[in-house]
Amino acid sequence: MHNELKITDMQTLESNKKTIDESINPISLDLPDFTTDSYKDAYSRINAIVIEGEQEAHDNYISIATLIPNELEELTKLARMEMKHKKGFTACGRNLGVVADMDFAKKFFSKLHGNFQVALEKGNLTTCLLIQAILIEAFAISAYNVYIRVADPFAKKITEGVVKDEYLHLNYGQEWLKENLSTCKEELMEANKVNLPLIKKMLDEVADDASVLAMDREELMEEFMIAYQDTLMEIGLDNREIARMAMAAIV
Amino acid sequence: MFGLIGHSTSFEDAKRKASMLGFDHIADGDLDVWCTAPPQLVENVEVKSATGISIEGSYIDSCFVPEMLSRFKTARRKVLNAMELAQKKGISITALGGFTSIIFENFNLLQHKQIRNTSLEWERFTTGNTHTAWVICKQLEINAPRIGIDLKKATVAVIGATGDIGSAVCRWLINKTGISELLMVARQQEPLALLQKELDGGTITSLDEALPQADIVVWVASMPKTIEIDTDNLKKPCLMIDGGYPKNLDEKFQGENIYVLKGGIVEFFNDIGWNMMELAEMQNPQREMFACFAEAMILEFEKCHTNFSWGRNNISLEKMEFIGAASLKHGFSAIGLDKQPKVLTV
Repeated sequence: MHNELKITDMQTLESNKKTIDESINPISLDLPDFTTDSYKDAYSRINAIVIEGEQEAHDNYISIATLIPNELEELTKLARMEMKHKKGFTACGRNLGVVADMDFAKKFFSKLHGNFQVALEKGNLTTCLLIQAILIEAFAISAYNVYIRVADPFAKKITEGVVKDEYLHLNYGQEWLKENLSTCKEELMEANKVNLPLIKKMLDEVADDASVLAMDREELMEEFMIAYQDTLMEIGLDNREIARMAMAAIV
Repeated sequence: MFGLIGHSTSFEDAKRKASMLGFDHIADGDLDVWCTAPPQLVENVEVKSATGISIEGSYIDSCFVPEMLSRFKTARRKVLNAMELAQKKGISITALGGFTSIIFENFNLLQHKQIRNTSLEWERFTTGNTHTAWVICKQLEINAPRIGIDLKKATVAVIGATGDIGSAVCRWLINKTGISELLMVARQQEPLALLQKELDGGTITSLDEALPQADIVVWVASMPKTIEIDTDNLKKPCLMIDGGYPKNLDEKFQGENIYVLKGGIVEFFNDIGWNMMELAEMQNPQREMFACFAEAMILEFEKCHTNFSWGRNNISLEKMEFIGAASLKHGFSAIGLDKQPKVLTV
């Protein structure tokens, strides 16, 4: 029975005729003008975040290797890949004639960076993997997925290549956590409670600049939640556990 | 594996259900949180056909709610993300339920084949419209005589005649039932004329003209918000089949000798042992479901892994006969008037 939906307050597709017609426009018409000052200004921060993010990822994987030495080879390979991505994104900024605001980016990552360093010192591998292999990776992949749809042709090509790689190493952290889930679940939940809200804040902080690049905040958040949920599910958490973890994103 | 993609009937309802299922992170969230919520695989189920074959399936809630219809980008993402999840789970045939098939069609989602690292394979999805159209026709054929309407003398009005389901219903009525007269109503006149030409029959008319003449009215269009209907002008008895979505006709047509039947709903011969149809608010949630969902199950029973119902105006009589025969064989039947005693008060 659909008796909660009264005809009078029911939205119909008819009443949204205008939006439907607009949606038929080819997506390419939604692309922003890459040459304006406002685009370049926003890009200087977003590009810096991406470059810094790849650098942090590189450093974090090298650090994680000190906690699991027998994975050194695999992690070094990953770290090298992140450096390759950094170079690619640096080229994207150069291509648009934009100087990346690296000071802004370092500050942007500072809290997450700090939490990672503390966990590393304490030898809390689970926390390190949550921060890098789940949160930062999901953050990156979601941003890249949204960016690809609105990027300039040069950056689009680079980002598509990066996304392919990113899907690979999302799996790496996943695999370790999956194998060790019984012993690391509690730490995973705790670390998540502390660090997921940071990701949410970072997303909010960057939302205005992202919208200048035609990247929608809502879409970014949804992409993040999809990547995050996928990873947690792969690790072996059930719907309720994932729901409890995701809760940290809305408080 | 078969899949069903569904959604709640309203935002309030969705929050209530999310809370029931333990999805507190979205249950407590506002509409913005829901707009960013990923699709959820809510339930896995095993279903045994009347022939003894067993199949497995999943119910995916797209986290879409009708309040999102005005945000077309959001609505589009909800449907595509749910489809991607179904495909990633390896589901062979998934039905697009409720608004999701309407969104797919009207928002032209065919141009969005690539979702992240997944290239959507359309053959894994069906709108379920062929089965829905067949079920509506059967409901008409079975229930009209039961309230004293002789099909051979009956005038049938189809409101929304040019839609995918509407045109299929018209095709069936003209060719298979021997009704006296078919009245066809739709907003757009050009496709109506084309349909009339194709059918070589049927009368094109307006809603206002059609209603007082019709013994039976099949509604397969969403009701215009502002519609006012004077039930005194309707024929008595009159059978109204509510084949649109959402099903809200019974609020408009209460009166003596007016029978409103929820169209496109089927009943399975056995209890299924799932919770998902409670979410869809069926009267007998262990057995009843939308015919479009049942189509995915029937196709899985038949190992017919193809986008059986797809695009607009592709529903042939042969396809309706095929899905109808398979529907009966596996234990589905169209729900009839006796399922709704409250409208039987004559």
